[in-house]
Amino acid sequence: MSTTLYHGEPNGPSLTVLAALFAKGVPAELSYIDLAGGERHSLPCAHEPLVEMSIEGEGPVLLVDGEAMTDSVFIACYLDDVGPGPALRPADAYGRWETMRWCRQMIERTAPAAAYLGCRAHPPAADVALLERIGSVDLRARWEQVASGYFPEEPLADSRAKIHQAVIRIEERLAQREWLMGAFSIADLESYAWLAGMVALVPEAFAPHARTREWLARVRAVPAVAQALALARSADPAASWSVGPEINRWG
Amino acid sequence: MTAGRTNGMQHLQSEGDGLMANVTLYHWEPNANSGKPMLTLMEKGVAFESRYLDLLNFDQHRPEYLAINPQGTIPAMLHGERVLTESTAIMEYVDEVFPGPRLMPQEPRDRWRVRWWMKFMDQWLGPSFSMIGWSVFVGPAVRARDPEELKAAVERIPLPERRLAWHKAISGRFGADEMRESRRRVALGIRMLEQELGKRPWLASDRYSLADINGFNLAYALPLSQPALSNDELTPNIMRWLRAIYARPATRACWALGRTSLVKRVSILEQPHIGAGQLS
Repeated sequence: MSTTLYHGEPNGPSLTVLAALFAKGVPAELSYIDLAGGERHSLPCAHEPLVEMSIEGEGPVLLVDGEAMTDSVFIACYLDDVGPGPALRPADAYGRWETMRWCRQMIERTAPAAAYLGCRAHPPAADVALLERIGSVDLRARWEQVASGYFPEEPLADSRAKIHQAVIRIEERLAQREWLMGAFSIADLESYAWLAGMVALVPEAFAPHARTREWLARVRAVPAVAQALALARSADPAASWSVGPEINRWG
Repeated sequence: MTAGRTNGMQHLQSEGDGLMANVTLYHWEPNANSGKPMLTLMEKGVAFESRYLDLLNFDQHRPEYLAINPQGTIPAMLHGERVLTESTAIMEYVDEVFPGPRLMPQEPRDRWRVRWWMKFMDQWLGPSFSMIGWSVFVGPAVRARDPEELKAAVERIPLPERRLAWHKAISGRFGADEMRESRRRVALGIRMLEQELGKRPWLASDRYSLADINGFNLAYALPLSQPALSNDELTPNIMRWLRAIYARPATRACWALGRTSLVKRVSILEQPHIGAGQLS
């Protein structure tokens, strides 16, 4: 089996997938791409429908025997299925339901907010040549919005509120456990990956919540996460952002 | 009422499964999010207590339901003492925990594809269908009610984004840009489904799966709602797929629970051929 992971800086979806890959011990060729420079749109698989239309935005791509896979939580589930390492999801069906439900809320509510705030603070580079290569009309519109530098107050406030809500959910969850699902799981990875960069941008969301801050440190110290973070080419990978999922059109 | 395939009930009873009587599904019509766990339970042959909530009567925001699901979203499933929400996550749970045919493929890459398509439909394509559906069906249906009663019902909605959606549906205030973007996505989504269904018999793998159940709930009335985009000439793979799902006994039993004109549109699939322009 031939497996290649195209990934960016270890932050957001690239961090989830890199850490899952290392935790599960799946052999793969690692290929660094500049997600913030839009390099994903130059890959040979860029116009595969399930790459071009991935609603995660600028995330990593796992190429397995010619099939290009996107969407970090589902790639992590795939790696959990095929790798020999310790399970990254609970053993019982109810625990797996909780994990998928948790990740869905992260994907749908937290990730767009984090990407919006992250791109405002650390804008990815969008040039005309890049924009012309992007096949998805709505992803291109998000790149254009970031390039314009215009971030209206309403979605900014809404995004900060969503980060606050995510931290509160985590803090409540950690009242009874060390990891979000009992044992270390994809839910910890996905949550950490989107929130690590928010500590500097929305510090007031984290300040009153000691359990969440301690949990962030625990996740960072997990060997697979540390191994992923060590691949960073920038001094602070949590400050590396590219265009993410869209903010829910229904509000 | 109790719903479910008779053979499934007998199967569970014969195994003495104590959980059988312990499944209650709170749902609206066999359509979109409500229909996903309904059809999954029926495909698995799991008998369940059906609690119909009338979305158009705001049953989902009444205190008795908010006590079960404080977010006031439909569906929710009780399994014994457990309360489960998020329709797609419920589908995976139902498939794992109950006997019956496996609806998640065994091959890990097929599983990835099932999840990819479900997310794409839940978060990208579905909301666009939904925006159109709310503007032409849900909005007009509830506007006939007493305005004061309607206002009070909307104020009870716990999630702000749902409150906003209802405001827009009731007042018909989906913007022209929003509707245009939804129509663009629906047209592109139809092309993507047609292309994907040209690669294999079912949407995400060579076997019927949760992705097909999810997709049918979104697309069962396509040849009626989008006659210029989906018919036997333009999208033969989609039409083959929809008819194959509609032919399944579980689908027939599930859609028989529908009460509104919305879901009765499924009978369009009984027509052997729907040509371009035939319905427009």
